[in-house]
Amino acid sequence: MLDIAGKVVERAQVHGAQQAAASAYQVREVSVQWRDGAVEKLTEATTRGVGVELYVDGRYASVSTSDLRPEALDTFLADAVAMTRALAEDPFRSLPDPHLYTGQASVDLQLADPHYANLTAVQRRDLAQQLEVAARNTTDGARILSVTTSVSDSQSQAWRVHSDGFAGEKAGTSYWLGAEVSVQDPDGRRPEDACYAGGRWRGDVPDPQGIGEEATRRTLSRLGSQKPASGQMTLLVDARAAGRMVSSLLGGLSASGWQQKRSFLEGKLGQAIGNNLLDITDDPLVVRGLGSRRFDGEGMASHAMPLFADGVMQNGFIDTYYGKKLQMAPTTGRMSNLRWRLGDKDRAALLQDVGDGILVTGFLGGNANGTTGDFSWGIQGFAIRGGQVAEPIGEANISGNHLTLWPSLLAVGDDPYRYSALGTPTLVFGGVNVAGK
Amino acid sequence: MSTALAAALQYFGRFGVDESLIRTALSAALARGGDRADVYFQHRVAHSLGLEDGAVNRAWSGIELGVGIRVLRGDQTGYGYTEDLSPESVRQAALTAAAIADGPARDRPIPQLVVTAIPQRYPAKTPWDKVAAATRLPLLQRVQERAHAADPRVQKVTVHFSDEEGAVLMVDSDGRVAFDEQPMTLIHLSCMAEENGRRESNGGNIAGRAGLEFYTDAKLDKLVKDAVDRTTILFEAGQPPAGEMPVVLGAGSSGILLHEAIGHGLEADFNRKGVSIYADKLGKSIAAPFVTVVDDATNEGARGAINIDDEGNAAGVTTLIHDGVLQTYLHDSISARHYGVAPTGNGRRESFRHAPLPRMRSTYMLPGPHTPEEIIASVERGIYCGNFANGQVQIGAGDFTFYVKNGWLIENGKLTRPIKDVNLIGNGPKVLEQIDMVGNDLKIDDGGWTCGKDGQSVPVSQGMPTTRVRAMTVGGRG
Repeated sequence: MLDIAGKVVERAQVHGAQQAAASAYQVREVSVQWRDGAVEKLTEATTRGVGVELYVDGRYASVSTSDLRPEALDTFLADAVAMTRALAEDPFRSLPDPHLYTGQASVDLQLADPHYANLTAVQRRDLAQQLEVAARNTTDGARILSVTTSVSDSQSQAWRVHSDGFAGEKAGTSYWLGAEVSVQDPDGRRPEDACYAGGRWRGDVPDPQGIGEEATRRTLSRLGSQKPASGQMTLLVDARAAGRMVSSLLGGLSASGWQQKRSFLEGKLGQAIGNNLLDITDDPLVVRGLGSRRFDGEGMASHAMPLFADGVMQNGFIDTYYGKKLQMAPTTGRMSNLRWRLGDKDRAALLQDVGDGILVTGFLGGNANGTTGDFSWGIQGFAIRGGQVAEPIGEANISGNHLTLWPSLLAVGDDPYRYSALGTPTLVFGGVNVAGK
Repeated sequence: MSTALAAALQYFGRFGVDESLIRTALSAALARGGDRADVYFQHRVAHSLGLEDGAVNRAWSGIELGVGIRVLRGDQTGYGYTEDLSPESVRQAALTAAAIADGPARDRPIPQLVVTAIPQRYPAKTPWDKVAAATRLPLLQRVQERAHAADPRVQKVTVHFSDEEGAVLMVDSDGRVAFDEQPMTLIHLSCMAEENGRRESNGGNIAGRAGLEFYTDAKLDKLVKDAVDRTTILFEAGQPPAGEMPVVLGAGSSGILLHEAIGHGLEADFNRKGVSIYADKLGKSIAAPFVTVVDDATNEGARGAINIDDEGNAAGVTTLIHDGVLQTYLHDSISARHYGVAPTGNGRRESFRHAPLPRMRSTYMLPGPHTPEEIIASVERGIYCGNFANGQVQIGAGDFTFYVKNGWLIENGKLTRPIKDVNLIGNGPKVLEQIDMVGNDLKIDDGGWTCGKDGQSVPVSQGMPTTRVRAMTVGGRG
């Protein structure tokens, strides 16, 4: 496949591209879905393809195909170059400055488990079954309507070649286990919840026992949920759920949004966006990290980059193109892993500090306006009374604006969520608008 | 070989697909004792163009070619796929899928292949492979120029245009063959406007299964007007108050309520597993007698239209709720067999990389007895929803949400001031019960809606007459 990436760049140049960059990939994916005592679905495949960015007479296009027969590929590239010529010129398009390819970290990121091939079909099936057994291991088993579990893993390889000499290879593996549980609520509803965990190495994936039990515990806790009263409240957002709010904030850091003036963070580098508790670094070099990489999607060497320090916005996600349009130095176009400056309290201690409020354990729908920073999201969770988790709540919304939300961050937990590259800890916000009854 | 079969196999012939390859795949698929198997060949060519900062200066295109092979044993599915259509690669993918069963092969030869006749709901008059890139460019430029001309506050315009064509060929182990060519196109206009240092952005899009003929002047002008109006009105818009209040859904894209509140919950896979809040409600009255909801594959040229589903089953109009009574679930062939009913033509998939699931097509409510004017006039204090960004549902708990991008506050029966960016949340069965007025003005929205389920996206349509819900929770402030 590395040959294909190189060949595609070469042929694109023959057909008239002055510059080209190609990525070829191959991914093997296997998944077992198990439901109520039997396999529900087995999927297994190896998928592959190639994508190429073309720079032709000052014009730009990006194309991809999964039809890798040599003659088909060549026709495809000829057509793609011809299509590119029909476009308007764009003086801001080019491959990155080659200096930015250099200085890749020498750290071994360990993104691929060398023992990947050892996992057998029988082991996957056993894991799926163990997840179900664990989920049903409860004194409240009579309420369970259905348990669906999943075991999925993948092994991927990608090769990137640029016409200016850059060549890079990436390999990675991943393993995920999950359990979804549905229970009967006496009032007729059938609440569902789930627990997923995974990692790059098989040894990093937790025991199925804990995942199955957690899925059932979470689901049973939803029984009898009620709409809360409306009002301004303190919100404790658990680590697993908080990623939703953070990825919405990070949307404002994209250079395309700045250049198109559709970002609530445009022009705010060096300004305080949150209070000093908002302190996040994008770190692509975390060993076995879910978002780790030594070079980014454009081939630029990856480095840690502070996003917010003591609440002040430090950097954005600037790729080569929007960097040129904005006359700013490119950083990288995409997030890798987030590293938070953590607090020193766990969730129980933070609940005590909150006293009365709402614990958010999940979001349902909603959206944000990237230009103004307004957001409105559906939530579910629990009331917090006297520092304790009380009755379940649902069918409620929270609304506000990012520019007032982050200055009202009251606390950051010590518990970054391991199963997302966002690595969000528990977050506590004061005075959030909750709409319920 | 019959003429019909030769015609059905012709398209994929250039990729080396013939009856012998199909038979090899199906035999391998059943090599371990599966009950049934099917193969799904797909070829899709997609192009898109982008306009930013005044110029159409970026393009994307993609070709997808591959085959998915499915083996069924009872309710269980084995699935494999490959982009390499060589006989050995296809056979390997079929053997992978065969592993859902673990017995000996049954002695059951694949019968003679017979082609299913299908309707033609989206013949492209000017197919995209006959349209030069240079012909598409002026469409985007025109939309941009008109957006700027419509209002001087519009400062930045982006236009995204895409077209797609391709074909699928399905053959199952009963010898049924279906072939369908599936065009699609979409244009999205996004505007950023400035007024007194404030910025707002919004947009609009239209989509359909059609060729270049889709883009009439009238359609493009309406797209521009809607997108610019929806953007500039945001300067006057505020957030509504928070809490429970009556909600009036405008005709058209409000069908998102049906999609989330009931459509997903009626997908039969969730009911077969007992996890949907509607699992025990078939035959029961769940809404007012003037509420009838259908899921329709037949709207000509609609984004959600299909000639046949992705399992080769006929796709027509499925009545979900008739005069308030729940009639049927949306079935694929697995759930239809499970329930002992005919499939409803709702087995759909994103591509050859996925096994089909019960999915919606074009979901809408039929017109009711009320006029839109009397519905708005009936509300003392509530909100009117005009257009939407997205929605989501919890199948079992029944809670669902949709995000309102533009709307109005209703005070004393009149639309008084615009509102924006607000999420609405309700519980499916409760909200259906609370629909107490339905307008006579059904409109099927022509927006580019995409539905996600289990990691698969499929194009859908939705529609609604003006409708009143007695109470929903509005995520406003204060």
